[in-house]
Amino acid sequence: MRPTFDELFTRHRHEIFAYLMRLLGNEADAQDAAQEVWLRAYRAYARLTPQSNVRAWLYAIATRQGWNAMRRRRRKSAALVYVDGLPAPAGAAWEQQRRWREVVAVVSRLPPKQHAALMQRQFHGLRYDEIATGLGCTPAAARANVYQAIKRLRAALEE
Amino acid sequence: MNRQDAVIAMVLGDAAASPELTAWLATEAGQRTLRAYQRTVAALGSAYGEVTMPDMTMVYYTSMATPIGRVFVAATEAGVTRISFRCSEAAFVAELRRRLGAVVIAESGERLQRAVSQLDAYFGGRRRAFDVAVDWRLATPFQRRVLTATRRVPAGRVVSYGDIAQRIGQPAASRAVGQALGRNPLPILIPCHRVLAGGGGLGGYTGGLDIKRKLLGIEGAEVAGVTSQPG
Repeated sequence: MRPTFDELFTRHRHEIFAYLMRLLGNEADAQDAAQEVWLRAYRAYARLTPQSNVRAWLYAIATRQGWNAMRRRRRKSAALVYVDGLPAPAGAAWEQQRRWREVVAVVSRLPPKQHAALMQRQFHGLRYDEIATGLGCTPAAARANVYQAIKRLRAALEE
Repeated sequence: MNRQDAVIAMVLGDAAASPELTAWLATEAGQRTLRAYQRTVAALGSAYGEVTMPDMTMVYYTSMATPIGRVFVAATEAGVTRISFRCSEAAFVAELRRRLGAVVIAESGERLQRAVSQLDAYFGGRRRAFDVAVDWRLATPFQRRVLTATRRVPAGRVVSYGDIAQRIGQPAASRAVGQALGRNPLPILIPCHRVLAGGGGLGGYTGGLDIKRKLLGIEGAEVAGVTSQPG
């Protein structure tokens, strides 16, 4: 049986918000984007074909809204990296803090597809075919995006 | 798949290592590469593994034409949470966003059908009591006691602020009762308009005394010799 929209919202609101946090790095932007994601999902849900993968569909909407928010932000301030919503390791050793900043700086400058694919694969457990649906590419390309992101991050951290 | 990709696939759990890769991983170069990717994935996990997450609520709203003007009604899954009038749609939505925190606000007549049809019947004089679930999240605990007592005042009757204070077991709290009613998040549904000042005056009404009079008129309340008092 197809879940009601309320069930869908209750079941996925946390992971979709977390995903937007991982794309946007701060709560205010994630909240605005989440509002858009659920509004669009609410309007389109009735038209979704019954055999659709609802979770992949939600991530596709979230990815588009996340990218829209990034574009809007880039127009406002060119090189700023917003990270206030990610829990900086308070009280952590200086070395750890530096490492954390490095990771966030590299990830937030990844090409959008790599960033999105990396987060979906690593923290949300989506399969490559599900990631591919949202990115409009093949599963092989979705996988290549994740691997490229990891290679970039490794290179930056090893410098 | 090249060696780098094969190591990544292994670290991410996408694929098991082939015998050829296992052999290479035993070499010094293989060890170094494996550890570098393990450190990379661990660093990613410590930066992005935990993120702050507010508890989001879905709020639906709609508006309806009534004899007192456009009335806006909003509800969560738990029940009706806000009714407002004499405001614009933008102001109503902005207030919901400000007071309810992390919410997704969607216009939906369908979601509010029950409340709207009951309000419609009420304004048409065909209904005297409401039977809809209420979400009290905009009321303080004290306010909720006041509003619950007020909800029991039937249509056609009026009581005083002091009466409500008595009913909640705080006879000296008429003024606090008045303030709690003044901030009633659910006017009409919770009939704060049936609560008048002690001396027979109308008392106050956030929506304006003309609306208070109109609502009492619809209900056929006998409020003889009413003299309106501001406040």
